[in-house]
Amino acid sequence: MLKLYDYELSGNCYKVRLMLAFLGLTYKQILIEFYPSKQHKSQEFFKINPLGQLPVISDQDILVRDAQAILIYLAAKYDRQKRWYPTRNPAMIAQISEWLFFANDLTSTSSAARLHDGFFYTDIRIEECRKRAHELFRVLDEHLYFNEQQGYSWICHSKNPTIADIACFPYIILSEEGGISRINYPAIRRWCDRFKRIPHFTVMPGVFPAGPDKTLDK
Amino acid sequence: MDIEFSKWFPVASTSDLPYRHIFQAQLLGREYAIWRADDGHVNIWENRCLHRGVRLSIGINEGSELKCQYHGWRYANRTAGCTYIPAHPADAPARTICNNTYQSQEKYGMIWTCETPDGTVPEIEGFGSYTVLRPIPINSSYKTIENFLTNVGIPKHQFVKSKSTVAWQFKLESGTQISFFIQPQNNNISILRGIYSLHIEGAEKIKILKHYNSIMVEIRDKLEKQDSPQLPDLEPKISQVSDQLSKIPVYGNQNQRFHLRVTVTEKVRISDNIIKLKLKSIKEQLPTFHAGAHIDIQLQNGLIRQYSLTNGPGETDHYCIAVKIEKNGGGGSKTIGENIAIGDVIAISSPHNSFPLLRNSKHTIFVAGGIGITPLLSMAKALHSMKLSFEFHYFTQSQDLSAFQNEIYKLGKNTNTYIDLTIDQTLSKIEKILETPSPLNKVYVCGPGEMIENTIKIGNDSGWNESNLRYEYFKNNNKIDNDSTFQIELARSAISLNVPSGKSILEVLTENGIKLESSCEQGACGTCKVSVLEGDINHQDVYLNSSEKRKGKVILTCVSRAKSDRLILDI
Repeated sequence: MLKLYDYELSGNCYKVRLMLAFLGLTYKQILIEFYPSKQHKSQEFFKINPLGQLPVISDQDILVRDAQAILIYLAAKYDRQKRWYPTRNPAMIAQISEWLFFANDLTSTSSAARLHDGFFYTDIRIEECRKRAHELFRVLDEHLYFNEQQGYSWICHSKNPTIADIACFPYIILSEEGGISRINYPAIRRWCDRFKRIPHFTVMPGVFPAGPDKTLDK
Repeated sequence: MDIEFSKWFPVASTSDLPYRHIFQAQLLGREYAIWRADDGHVNIWENRCLHRGVRLSIGINEGSELKCQYHGWRYANRTAGCTYIPAHPADAPARTICNNTYQSQEKYGMIWTCETPDGTVPEIEGFGSYTVLRPIPINSSYKTIENFLTNVGIPKHQFVKSKSTVAWQFKLESGTQISFFIQPQNNNISILRGIYSLHIEGAEKIKILKHYNSIMVEIRDKLEKQDSPQLPDLEPKISQVSDQLSKIPVYGNQNQRFHLRVTVTEKVRISDNIIKLKLKSIKEQLPTFHAGAHIDIQLQNGLIRQYSLTNGPGETDHYCIAVKIEKNGGGGSKTIGENIAIGDVIAISSPHNSFPLLRNSKHTIFVAGGIGITPLLSMAKALHSMKLSFEFHYFTQSQDLSAFQNEIYKLGKNTNTYIDLTIDQTLSKIEKILETPSPLNKVYVCGPGEMIENTIKIGNDSGWNESNLRYEYFKNNNKIDNDSTFQIELARSAISLNVPSGKSILEVLTENGIKLESSCEQGACGTCKVSVLEGDINHQDVYLNSSEKRKGKVILTCVSRAKSDRLILDI
């Protein structure tokens, strides 16, 4: 059975929980306390991930670390319809990869600001993190606006959401916990509504559900 | 900038309000939650819940109501009146719980607002058709952007001195125009909005949008590089509830009861004997109503009648009532049938609710007989929209069958309609419906007096708790005995009055300048209910249930009297 080394308040762990929910996979949760006891920096956990980072999954004899890597693994292995990560479509993989790296930049900015404000991290240059996060949000907002204009609802030019959407969602929706307002990113906010309406969407502390979709409402 | 509160500003693009979205906006420091209801109305509200101040923009747009994410308070479309507080499922919230609303107008593909409007959104010449450009937020003041547009402008475009004070117009050689607007979010941040003077679609649209997006982004980048002084942020005053709601109303104004003026906008015969009226306010917003409420109507011939609203939740742009034409009735229904026409103005009261829907039941059973369906229909619509469990039983005659068929159909699967049953058949059906009593469920019944009496009896006999059997009579068939003479003492007002035979307590109170809200004045609706501190009551109403009557703690002042020499009332 799949095992997820998990921390409830981590946005990176939330990415994996979302993927598992969307794919309808059952898994065993192993809780690792990130704050305040820093279990992810313990000797025992270093044996699982020498980088001392969450999340990690184990699938029989395979261990995968890093949220983005886990998304790729789960989608490639368990999504029979190959929608979340279309392995046979190189152009789409290129697009998805761009935004997976973008998601990593969100971790070092938006997520860092949240660690500063909510988890008392003191070695973070907060103003710089916020400024850089706003730069990233500006780029994504413009991108999503023109996607909408061309009839695309998601980050990539695809009919369905991909793992790029999952990778970007948590640290965008949690940005206000790091003092980063989304008032000036209307296209991002509309995309967040759409993301929350994906069937089997699940929440975490600080993330609220959206109202029902037009099609589901009937 | 000098703050111009009478000036209109765009605060959103029409495309910012897709289905069931709540848009967060800001103008001159004030934050707004902007949402479009399913009927098309665009609401612009103060962006905070009246309960704990949480932003409503993170709430849920339910189509006709907005629900706060924190504790689930619900607010109605248009009025922003609170319709439901989950922590008090058994109470209808006071009408005074009402969020601040702001003017909204939709023009040129944008949503506009203004704090103290003087007129409407100005016309902009040459924009009979248009395409809305992507708005660009800029970390700059209104003045800085205004200077830039006026003095620098944009390449290849000629600045047109525009007649409108809200737009900066530019012309291309081809004659096509661009109009820019500045939305000052706060002192140091504004949104540059623009429209293009042609309606375009497809690839051409994307091309134009991208072209102007890059021009506007360039303006943004130039302005943000300038070292402009940072001004302190504006902190708008968030006003308390309006004077009208927070002050005690002027005393003794008899016209106040019928203070709303409405126009009849629809009059449809929905079956042989039933007429549906749709009433729209002439100028002010109709007050928020709660499911089960009724209004008093003053008819042209001086008669006063009560009718339940059949509206669904959040339908605040009109009231709907259904009137059964009684051939042998008191004349009220006949007047409506014959004398009221589309376009007529009539006077009505605010909604009263003495038959409130309690939402603390696990399951709700509705038993409707004939025209008694009206308040129950409004309740069932409210439960249906909240996805709470209920079943709806409607007893009718075939000649009236067509009247509510459509609306019942929309309530989903748990509805049953019984046609032309005899009294015995009806009673045995009701026995079946009520056969499993539960303290967690409630029964609402409304219909002919005899049917209500029998349903309550059946309910009691099958073991239902009396307080879970809820009903509303349309009229009181009891013969009122008003022979007695007695004293009333008003404990809070320290006044003693004599009630002579032939006059009701309510009449005596009114004659002495003590205004008590009343509606049907025949002991059916419960509006004039007052608490009794001492004395024996001769109950003559059909509103209170038998245990309430036994306890003797409340009285309906329009019909009931004293058995003892005096009554002490808690007013």
